[in-house]
Amino acid sequence: MQTELRKIVSEEQDQSQPGQQAAGQESSSPGAQEQVLHPHMSYWPFALAIALVVIFMGIISNNLVVLAIGAVLAAAAVIGWGLEHH
Amino acid sequence: MATRTIVEGVSVARRKRLDETYIGQWLMTTDHKQIGIMYLITGFFFFMAGGVEALLIRTQLAVPDGKVLSPEIYNQIFTMHGVTMIFLFVMPTLTGFGNYVVPLMIGARDMAFPRLNAFGYWVILFGGLFINSSFLFGAAPNGGWFNYAPLNELTANCGANAIMCTPGMNEDFWALGILLLGISSITASLNFVVTILKLRAPGMTLNRMPLFTWMTLVTAFLLLFAIPSLTAATGLIVLDRHLGTHFYQAASGGDPLLWQHLFWSFGHPEVYILILPVFGMISDILPTFARKPIFGYTFVAWSGVAIGFLSFTVWAHHMFAVGLPPIAQAFFATSTTLIAIPTAVKVFNWCMTITFGKLSLKVPMLFALGFIAMFLIGGLDGVAVAVVPFDYQVTDTYFVVSHLHYVLFGGSVFGIFAGFYYWFPKMSGKLLNERLGQLQFWLMLIGVNVTFFPMHILGLLCMPRRIYTYPNYLGWNFINLLQTMGAYILGIAIMVFFINLIVSLRSGQPAGGDPWNAFTLEWDTSSPPPHYNFLTVPTVRSRRPFYDKKNPDIADWKTATH
Repeated sequence: MQTELRKIVSEEQDQSQPGQQAAGQESSSPGAQEQVLHPHMSYWPFALAIALVVIFMGIISNNLVVLAIGAVLAAAAVIGWGLEHH
Repeated sequence: MATRTIVEGVSVARRKRLDETYIGQWLMTTDHKQIGIMYLITGFFFFMAGGVEALLIRTQLAVPDGKVLSPEIYNQIFTMHGVTMIFLFVMPTLTGFGNYVVPLMIGARDMAFPRLNAFGYWVILFGGLFINSSFLFGAAPNGGWFNYAPLNELTANCGANAIMCTPGMNEDFWALGILLLGISSITASLNFVVTILKLRAPGMTLNRMPLFTWMTLVTAFLLLFAIPSLTAATGLIVLDRHLGTHFYQAASGGDPLLWQHLFWSFGHPEVYILILPVFGMISDILPTFARKPIFGYTFVAWSGVAIGFLSFTVWAHHMFAVGLPPIAQAFFATSTTLIAIPTAVKVFNWCMTITFGKLSLKVPMLFALGFIAMFLIGGLDGVAVAVVPFDYQVTDTYFVVSHLHYVLFGGSVFGIFAGFYYWFPKMSGKLLNERLGQLQFWLMLIGVNVTFFPMHILGLLCMPRRIYTYPNYLGWNFINLLQTMGAYILGIAIMVFFINLIVSLRSGQPAGGDPWNAFTLEWDTSSPPPHYNFLTVPTVRSRRPFYDKKNPDIADWKTATH
């Protein structure tokens, strides 16, 4: 991913047009340009949302088993989210 | 299949990881642009669902003694029409625009909390599916989008739990679904507040922010303060229904009016939650197509803040007919009239922006102008029903239905289409077809007025809202038929939009980075933008940073004082 981004960054630098930077704008350092500039993907938000819906399905059907499954899924998703490398 | 390198020059095939598959990239994305597009797709999906429900309602009411729907199904359809259009179309669509555009506008690389952003999206999608799954059980919510007590829990001879009186799951689907959607709204709002306050590009002071960003910020605060009231109200319903409490049951010492106070103290700010971001869009679109800066930027921005504050003081104008004390009626009538002032400030500034401008009547501009006209009618209706004696006469009649549809359809929906035609080239890299767009606009303008204007007359002829059918001797027949014809014209207009969308995605003209010669930062990157938005975070020196960059000799920061 990083290599790919570096390539994109360097291609874009080549294609940048004169006057693209705003007047008075400072150019960023090469090191800053090489860092990953967007966040990592994650499936925990999706998992937590599903867990919430399972909990609500348990409530609406008065089914404690479904509710418990939802609660366990939610706990797992929260823990997974928290432990994920950001 | 992907490949894995064992040693230099030797690779073996391996199964793709989830995040490398097409579906996985959508499921796991934390990119604000992709999430914004997902919000928009979801919003327009539910817009179609809500539109079909609207056509069913109008078909049922086209002629007297209609038999298209049963009374029970009719109640479910009109309830779900309101819930869908408000919570599942307008709100997610505006959040989608905010997600896509706001970080670009302020020169940020993403939202402040990308995972929370993804979570908010998935919750609203599943929440919407959860509420709509009620149709599969034949138990869709049926108490109106505001779900008044005691419709949500009958009070007489109920035994321990309210659920014994209203044993279906209809109200539970409403309450739990709304709780889910509230969670989504809170996460999105927190994200917008932090993103806008903390991630702006160097030099972009609050006083230089684009007005769409300003209004998104105000809306996010409104949601943060309004949603808890709704959450509390619905939480009490769940307790009444499942745990035997009696918060809304008069026979047991509860108060059904507590529901109305709690609901409308969310519900009226909600009206502004649905319209303020649109005000922001219009305030950015008009200058672009009039080739002028917005007239009275400071007034436009701060009138939005004033509307936000005042929106929390007007809730009981929905309750004039319940028998409020005269002093309360006077207070809420006054505050409701007051809120017209900042709104009128905006309309005045928009009119002054286009006055003497070099107008370019592209489709986004047409929808923006249509928005001003239609919203003005809805706003003036609002001032009329703020007058208590008049409200007594028309409360719960089609006059009110007309008012809310001019505001929400003539206002929010016209604004959403203005925004969509404006920013679609940025999202897709292609322009929407201009001719089909114009056809859609004129059909919508005709459709809105044919559908909703006659509702004023029906209201004055005392046709109550939410009725399933009507006898043929009350003089309502022709007007109802006319409205149904208007609704089908609107349906055709929306079909033209979707045809335009498909045609343009397949073979639309390339848009380039800046198809409208615009002023704000979202256009200062490719269309669609790269993942990281801006290679170098731009520096801002005025309210029109991209204009400055394109016109360095006459840049705003050289010629003006902002």
